[in-house]
Amino acid sequence: MSSEAVARIARLKLRPHRIFGGIKPRAYKSSSLRSRILPCPIPDQLILSLRQHQGEAASPVVKVGDMVLKFQLLAEAENDSALNLHAPTSGKITAIAPHAIPGQSGQPELCVFLETDKQDAEIELTALPDYRAMSHLELLDLISQAGICGLGGAGFPSGLKLGDGIEKEIGLLIINAAECEPYITADEALLREFAEEVVSGAEILQKISLAPQCVIAIEKDKQDAIAALKPALRNSSIKLIALSAKYPTGGEKQIIQGVTGLEVPTGGLPQDIGVLVHNAGTAFAVHKAIIFGEPCVSRITTLTGAPLQTPKNFEALIGTPASYLLKICGLDKKQLTGAIVGGSIMGVELKNFDSPLLKTSNCIIAKSAKEFPQQAKEQACIRCGYCANVCPAQLLPQQLYAYSRSNDRLKLQDYGLADCIECGACAYVCPSNIPLVQYYRASKQEIKESMLRERQSEYWQSRFQTHQYRLKKNQEDKLSKRKKKKSAAGTKTENTFSREKARAEIAAAVERVKARKKKLIASTKLDK
Amino acid sequence: MTELITNSSPMQLGSLKTQRIMLLVIAALLPGISVASWFFGWGFLINVLLAAIFAIGLEAFALGIQKKPIKAGLSDNSALVTALLFGISIPPGSSWWLVFLGIAFAILIAKHAYGGLGQNPFNPAMSGYLFLLISFPLDMTSWQIPVNYPDATPLGWEGLQQSLLVVFPFLFSSTESMQATVDGMTMATPLIVSKMAGTNAILEAQQAGLNIFARTAETGWELMNIAYLCGGLALLALGIISWHIPVSIILTLAIVSGLFYSPHSSAVYGTPYLHLFGSATMVGAFFIATDPVSAATTNKSKILYGIIIGLGIYAVRVWGSYLDSIAIAVLFGNFCAPLLDHYCRPRIYGHPKQGLVSWLLGNRS
Ligand code: SF4
Ligand code: SF4
Repeated sequence: MSSEAVARIARLKLRPHRIFGGIKPRAYKSSSLRSRILPCPIPDQLILSLRQHQGEAASPVVKVGDMVLKFQLLAEAENDSALNLHAPTSGKITAIAPHAIPGQSGQPELCVFLETDKQDAEIELTALPDYRAMSHLELLDLISQAGICGLGGAGFPSGLKLGDGIEKEIGLLIINAAECEPYITADEALLREFAEEVVSGAEILQKISLAPQCVIAIEKDKQDAIAALKPALRNSSIKLIALSAKYPTGGEKQIIQGVTGLEVPTGGLPQDIGVLVHNAGTAFAVHKAIIFGEPCVSRITTLTGAPLQTPKNFEALIGTPASYLLKICGLDKKQLTGAIVGGSIMGVELKNFDSPLLKTSNCIIAKSAKEFPQQAKEQACIRCGYCANVCPAQLLPQQLYAYSRSNDRLKLQDYGLADCIECGACAYVCPSNIPLVQYYRASKQEIKESMLRERQSEYWQSRFQTHQYRLKKNQEDKLSKRKKKKSAAGTKTENTFSREKARAEIAAAVERVKARKKKLIASTKLDK
Repeated sequence: MTELITNSSPMQLGSLKTQRIMLLVIAALLPGISVASWFFGWGFLINVLLAAIFAIGLEAFALGIQKKPIKAGLSDNSALVTALLFGISIPPGSSWWLVFLGIAFAILIAKHAYGGLGQNPFNPAMSGYLFLLISFPLDMTSWQIPVNYPDATPLGWEGLQQSLLVVFPFLFSSTESMQATVDGMTMATPLIVSKMAGTNAILEAQQAGLNIFARTAETGWELMNIAYLCGGLALLALGIISWHIPVSIILTLAIVSGLFYSPHSSAVYGTPYLHLFGSATMVGAFFIATDPVSAATTNKSKILYGIIIGLGIYAVRVWGSYLDSIAIAVLFGNFCAPLLDHYCRPRIYGHPKQGLVSWLLGNRS
């Protein structure tokens, strides 16, 4: 199946394809691209969440009071979906306690508090400039050790994704540098200044994933980044594909469609069609992890928004508090009305300004009332269909909205709620200010919960059925025993239950019960 | 820091709002309304204004008794659009009570009884119109146009007096002589004329030496349709409406009337040109059938919806017993819309492509 997919990809002509739907919001990108990427100074304290992404939390391997060096392991991933966490600089662990982190839920997470000593003393690293001599599985292990996750925002552990890809066989690796969301310029700035490194990271990723082809996909209008990439790709087999600029070209499913013309089957993963997508920032982190042996302790993040005097891209340490980043960009508190982590479309409200930078935080937007006015009240859906025209999943958001309101689960399924990528393009164009994505999230949550309940009730139902079955069997058991007595045939080993077509687990349970019951019956008979 | 504003994603939103859409629709109607007033005079204009006033009043009333916020409800301007479309459709110089009844039906029954904006399965303006057509067929087929041309222009003082007289007869109950003039002020659309008399009114007017700018009602239709067409094209260019519905209506109508027309047979069928420019086709195709709430919503179903309406318009005009057909055809289209939407869904990303039948039904990527 998978090698079929690989063969199919080998036959494909990789060129820009049409991506469904999409919007062209105002980009607000130029202000943060005016300066080069600057290293962010080390703050007095770093707050390192044990959960940097949507996965399991890592377990700390340091104690309060420990002195740690830069790149030292702080917390270890105990399973695949967790991420190793390393010290971004040297200093002392002052606490391991819950703290607010940016995110949808707004739940505090357990964080390691690191008081920095500003020495930035490192542990010794094993650089591997000659990685080509290593096997792809050894390299994969190094990536997993380095605690790298998708730096484009979703934060899926890169090692896990690569491992899954190797298993399924990959025909094409796509390095996603589309960065289609307004305000975010981290990848664009990165490519402008570190194109060579990103290409090197892409080559490492290609070697690990064993993908015969690799493509860097970028939006056409990012001219500086394209100009920097071209010379970097001169001696490489990696192709550059420039897609037309619209949101959400950078969505995983969309970039695959844009590069290959293929679609990820519903409910499936890119691996299923032999494609693997990694973000450009991730490629950069991979480059550093292999060539220099550096674990992922910093990232390039965009600081922008009207209240900032000097918007820019920082290479900032993971765990730097957002308030610190905003302050050193010349925050004008009078204008500030809040902040967003992520882009202006998919981003989430920063509820606590001391929340630390995560590995997935690609952008922090300081909001002004002018750029982000209070959202107007929701009005009636006028069924204009603008939402359907921009939906990259080709759904009918207006129908989903109606069914979400009426809680019609079957219709929601029929109309493909599960295929909604929550990109928000529909809500962006909706003239009636309907927060469509919120409705979809709520419905998805409800469906999840009710499925859980159903599974539970199914469980109890099957328990009940087993019980009924047991009672009936006991009855039959008694009857057959009587019969046996009558016929005086002592073939006791004949198992009446083995004839039953009951499922294995039920049968096993019944077996046990039978034995117990027999004993019980025998004993009562003895009593008599 | 100033006051915190918390929003939900997406944080950045487009700027085209319902209120503005409706205002732009109204703006796009204005050229047509101006041309129509130019030709049909005060009676037309008074009807439109009267409908707007009644609609706003009744909308506020309907919102009020349902305890919905009145100001917010009125601010979407949708009642105003309904009023204009209704006012345009009824015969110029209709009585005030006729306007009132029609608007009341449109706003109270066709819109609010179904749950208000967004819930109504049928186009409110056309529902109101059809209600009047069925209940008061006589009043709805008399077009009261000042006939004194060229002595009095339709928008002149005399025209105003005449129009006020027909719209508010109680104001002038004693003027017998005026009554006499009014009786003679009836006419029909060129298409109706052609249907009734087997002649082509535009051709006749042209043969009589009038060019299309002559201010008579017969030739007014042509210019009026052109004005609505321009307004509709502006809406298309602004992205307010999509091309699917108007284009499919106009093409269907042109093709069908072209197929049935033969110059030597009776003129009842009408030329394609007469069908497109001799009646209310343009306002119907660009403004009435495209009312988003009651129209089909997916692109493929919109095309089918347009074809159904185009066929409906032609069938009612040529073979039906009603004199005008936009309302009936659009309401029939509204009736079909949910079904069309259900069967003409786009293929969702990542779902398998289907066979020819579903391809024809529109499940193509
Ligand atoms: S864009 Fe908004 S108002 Fe228009 S159909 Fe979609 S949900 Fe309804
Ligand atoms: S949020 Fe969902 S429904 Fe809305 S445009 Fe994106 S994919 Fe389509």
